[in-house]
Amino acid sequence: MNVLEAVDIHKTFQEGRERVEVLRGISLAVGRGEVVALEGRSGSGKTTFLSIAGCILSPSGGRFAIAGQAVDPANPAGLAAVRRRAIGFVFQQFNLFPALTACENVEFALNVKGRRDRSARREAEAMLDAVGLADRRDFLPRDLSGGQKQRVAIARALAGGPPLILADEPTANLDSQVGEQILGLFRSLAKRDDRGLLIVTHDPKVRAIADRVVRIEDGCIVNGG
Amino acid sequence: MVDLALKTLLHDRLRFVITVSGVAFAVTLVFVQAGLFAGILGNASVTIRNLDADLWVTPKNTANVDFANSFPESYLNRVRSVPGVARADNLIVYFMFMTLPSGARETVEVYAMEDFRRWGFPWRVLEGDLDDLKRGPYAFMDDSAVRRFGPFAVGDYREVQSTRLRIVGRTSDALSFTTTPLMFMDYGLAQRMNADLLQGRTSYTVVRLAPGSDLEAVRREIRRRLPYNDVHSRAEWVAHSERYWIDSTGIGLNMVLTVFLGILVGVVVVTQTLYTSTMEHLREYGTVKAIGGGNADIYRIIGKQALIAAVLGYAIGAVMAWGTGRLVAQAGLRMELSTTMLAVVFAGAVLLCLAAALVSFHKVARIDPAMVFRV
Repeated sequence: MNVLEAVDIHKTFQEGRERVEVLRGISLAVGRGEVVALEGRSGSGKTTFLSIAGCILSPSGGRFAIAGQAVDPANPAGLAAVRRRAIGFVFQQFNLFPALTACENVEFALNVKGRRDRSARREAEAMLDAVGLADRRDFLPRDLSGGQKQRVAIARALAGGPPLILADEPTANLDSQVGEQILGLFRSLAKRDDRGLLIVTHDPKVRAIADRVVRIEDGCIVNGG
Repeated sequence: MVDLALKTLLHDRLRFVITVSGVAFAVTLVFVQAGLFAGILGNASVTIRNLDADLWVTPKNTANVDFANSFPESYLNRVRSVPGVARADNLIVYFMFMTLPSGARETVEVYAMEDFRRWGFPWRVLEGDLDDLKRGPYAFMDDSAVRRFGPFAVGDYREVQSTRLRIVGRTSDALSFTTTPLMFMDYGLAQRMNADLLQGRTSYTVVRLAPGSDLEAVRREIRRRLPYNDVHSRAEWVAHSERYWIDSTGIGLNMVLTVFLGILVGVVVVTQTLYTSTMEHLREYGTVKAIGGGNADIYRIIGKQALIAAVLGYAIGAVMAWGTGRLVAQAGLRMELSTTMLAVVFAGAVLLCLAAALVSFHKVARIDPAMVFRV
């Protein structure tokens, strides 16, 4: 079963008097345990597609399903519920909460997903162990390196077991060696738990760990879709 | 469960301190101003509240308890014969001149009755026996007189209206809005000392009802018998006396203005710090939305921060107001902080902080979660 199935996705923005068509009928599927790299130049529409796949942005046309369930873009509360249940995000800027420790960052994400008991703490600790940060649980983000922050972000994305992980340029703020380590870790964890992983990237290293590379240009998939 | 609201507050310590200080300042200002107002106003009616009478028969249109005209003391008999009256006595309230040992001349406000003890008045006797007042040219003086007249002790003599009086007792907390010190003496003595104006006359007749009697019925009957007097219940007379000073001195408007300014400063500080904090944490709130949270989750975070600031600011403000109360007491001013006032100001602080958070709510509602992908 596919964890992401997008069919004929269109997205148009109104900029002043001008209508800008950013996505022109993109169809893309990501299967369980599959790692897909989505490449393209800046402005090609890959982050817009990621936002739609992440139920953050509503498409102007087309349909899509997450983990086998059709998504109704007209229902904002339903979109938030899909994000809670089925999607984990990894951002280029990490987007960790600076006032929370590494462990609390992961635990808070579980709290938002509705897990408010002690099991959230236990799972957060387990996720940090899995990304190799067992000894950094109580560190604030400001005391962590870039690579460590991204590991925390990955632990947060994986917490709660969402079937689909969406990553936006996860290695952009990391040096080459750390970037490779992060990608390797990311892939192995996604494979281990049979999750679909869609990585938007400019980084050629991502190709090396991806099962499939999809290229997007001017809002259309030109290769690998 | 992770408390993002509290953790974020504690993370931005300086801003947290500024927010709490804003609330504390506003709360202190409101407490001090309202407390002083209540204290000063309380002086205008403290004798009415503490004299154990259900009804006050006063000269027509008397403005307040301090400024009484007089009426024939024989009216007392008409009051005593009204069914439902358990006890009625005359009370003189009159300003007299006192000559101090230094030669200076000051005024005292004299309360004179035949039997103070029956009325539980004065209510706080520090020294002396009230029955002694019947035995000669004796008087009790309130301790508040020390500030104006200098130290005195039981056994001292003072000259009042050219009469040498021996001070045989001391009271406390017996005050007047006019700040004139209070003195207590025998009813007959007061009349003799002001024979030209008080002979055969009284300022008030105070009435205690028999158990089970109907206050309105008794009042109606007294009014019928004394058509040229007014008859007030204790609560009405308190309100009447206090209202006179509020209307005639403008202290009410002054209090309202200062309280309003205090609230304004508090709201502005809290609104500004919360809003700045919200703006600085916009990306984090966007992340909350991206990971599945809704506006309600973020409202809870900001609302809780406002609530924490309100509770902490209130507590600090209340302590500061209490300290200020002790300080101004040394200057002879009374600050009254009633439990009602404590509750109202607490509710006000919470409401105002939540209102201040509304501006941030408005901003948060417009967050586009897609911002988390922007660099």
